[in-house]
Amino acid sequence: MDIWNSLLQGFMTAGTPINLMWALLGCLIGTAIGVLPGIGPALTVAMLLPITSHVEPTASMIMFAGIYYGAMYGGSTTSILLNTPGETGSMVTAMEGNLMAKSGRAGAALATSAIGSFFAGTIATVLVTLFAPGLAEFALRFGPPEYFALILLAFTTVSSVLGQSTLRGMTSLVLGLSIGIIGIDQISGQARFTLNNVPELVDGIEVVLVAVGLFAVGEAMYTMMYEGRQDETRNKMSSLWMTKGDWKRSWPAWLRGTLIGFPFGTIPAGGTEIPTFLSYGAERKLSKHPEEFGTVGAIEGVAGPEAANNAAVAGTLVPLLTLGIPTSTTAAILLSAFQNYGIQPGPTLFQTSSALVWALIASMYIGNVMLLVLNLPLVGLWVKLLKIPKPALYAGILIFATVGVYGMRQSAFDLFLLYGIGLLGVLMRRFDFPTAPVIVGMILGPLGEAHMRNAMSIGEGKWTVFIERPLSATILLVCVAVLIVPPLLTRLRRRRTVALA
Amino acid sequence: MNKPMNKRSEIGIGAGAIGLGAVMAIGAAQIKSEAGYGGVGAGFLPWLMAAAMALCGVLLIVQAATGGFRAMPEGSEDTPAPYWAGMAWLSAGLLLNAALITRVGFIPSCSLLFVLAARGFRLSMGAGRATLADWVRDVLVGAALSAPVYWLFTKLLGLTLPGLTSSGWI
Repeated sequence: MDIWNSLLQGFMTAGTPINLMWALLGCLIGTAIGVLPGIGPALTVAMLLPITSHVEPTASMIMFAGIYYGAMYGGSTTSILLNTPGETGSMVTAMEGNLMAKSGRAGAALATSAIGSFFAGTIATVLVTLFAPGLAEFALRFGPPEYFALILLAFTTVSSVLGQSTLRGMTSLVLGLSIGIIGIDQISGQARFTLNNVPELVDGIEVVLVAVGLFAVGEAMYTMMYEGRQDETRNKMSSLWMTKGDWKRSWPAWLRGTLIGFPFGTIPAGGTEIPTFLSYGAERKLSKHPEEFGTVGAIEGVAGPEAANNAAVAGTLVPLLTLGIPTSTTAAILLSAFQNYGIQPGPTLFQTSSALVWALIASMYIGNVMLLVLNLPLVGLWVKLLKIPKPALYAGILIFATVGVYGMRQSAFDLFLLYGIGLLGVLMRRFDFPTAPVIVGMILGPLGEAHMRNAMSIGEGKWTVFIERPLSATILLVCVAVLIVPPLLTRLRRRRTVALA
Repeated sequence: MNKPMNKRSEIGIGAGAIGLGAVMAIGAAQIKSEAGYGGVGAGFLPWLMAAAMALCGVLLIVQAATGGFRAMPEGSEDTPAPYWAGMAWLSAGLLLNAALITRVGFIPSCSLLFVLAARGFRLSMGAGRATLADWVRDVLVGAALSAPVYWLFTKLLGLTLPGLTSSGWI
């Protein structure tokens, strides 16, 4: 079998001592930043992007992927032991997990989430192995109009589903697209939005700068201004042992979580938040112990969402590798890591960089095993990270932010810009503007514009080119549905409740 | 429902978006757009974004005026007043770092950033006056963090970061 051979080849590449070391390093960093509140995988990968100029692509992609799913493992530890989630993807875990910990079952909660993450991560990787090559082959038929339609779909979903309000999501997206315009136009070579040729702007604004500004500096500023006096309580650890009943209640939840999480990762609906909430809802409905939800903490409520977020993370790799379309902020940053190497992920990636892709997939199998070992027996070590006092933690993050941003092009101008973007981040957080559309817009904007202009050339200047081709017309229809259906549903529901009252 | 304070700042956000849209329109007007064969040139997307940004601004103001931004997270109405003193310390740290990094080198500049930011966070958490020992400890921790980071990135990963001396160690 072709897939089987390629995968074996991948294991040979990923299994070399040096690549195993990169995978381990990624898993270690990932778990650590997952545990630490206030720092996430997108930010970490962004800050480490400068290494792409010194480390070979396979090694750095293995490490970045390790950081991405390692953060999901680590995030659950914080959610269960502290009352703040380590990552947005583990917000739901924080609800039931924290309750379980309060009633003295922290260990079982940690165990079910680590084993569930392993279970889901591995199954999802199998699904990636099986489906990604086929999808890539199908996507070879896509031309510029289809790509433009797909990118448009990513834009609509990321801005309307992720945030609560479509208007605020759209505003964020427009902001990101506009930042993406700054610099030299790829097709005509003209400088655009450079405030009369300010040299730093002519070079364009790096994604790293915006990501670090919004996530690290903005987060630090917001915490300083609004959350200084918030109390944090820590829960006590207990034995990691899961009883027979725990296992029996956990495994169906893991399976359901995986099945909910994976498809959500693959469609451009952005991130891990939605599948974790869906999984939580499903578990709550199906549980034989509904009285435990919201009181002493139900183990299914931890097992399901944790499996869902890990499966979703693996799922995001499918559209990223086969279509070149990121469906989460971290995936967007991974895309720009590929671009740093001059590699454009897309359907041809499985042919042109097949060694890299299969090594990456193989490393995910290896990484999941590493993470299970790192997170179960060694959980006590990670818990110690939670003892770092908040001032030292945030001030330390700012030092790393400086390295990441200044190291890119040795410009103090960038550090002032970083401050400005930090302020913007505070405003966006305060008024609940989602940040993911900014990053996705920045990265996909230039790509989408190029595809649009190429498609228009194919269509000889007629916009109908996008609806004359059945594939692109279908995708565009889905875009419209994403925008129109949810508000319609809420309106219908409201009318029904009014009628009932 | 919507407090007047919130309403005013929400309208401000909308006005900001409209202003940004106007600036973008000026920028878009400077682009020579030769549409050529495809009918869409370099100026198309900038104009579209300028218009979209302004439109978003108008809609945000409409929402702010008619009951406030929609679907805000629970409790956001009661966000406490921002703690400006801490923000001043943090800003001083970040801006001094930006201004000094090329002059005094990475390690001293980032240590200063650490000291000022950490002081701000302690104040925001309700700490009292800092003693000399507090300052010394922050300087030491700041240096103990930035020095290894500097060595790691310059020596191992070949990144260029500014040093105080040309020895490459400080």
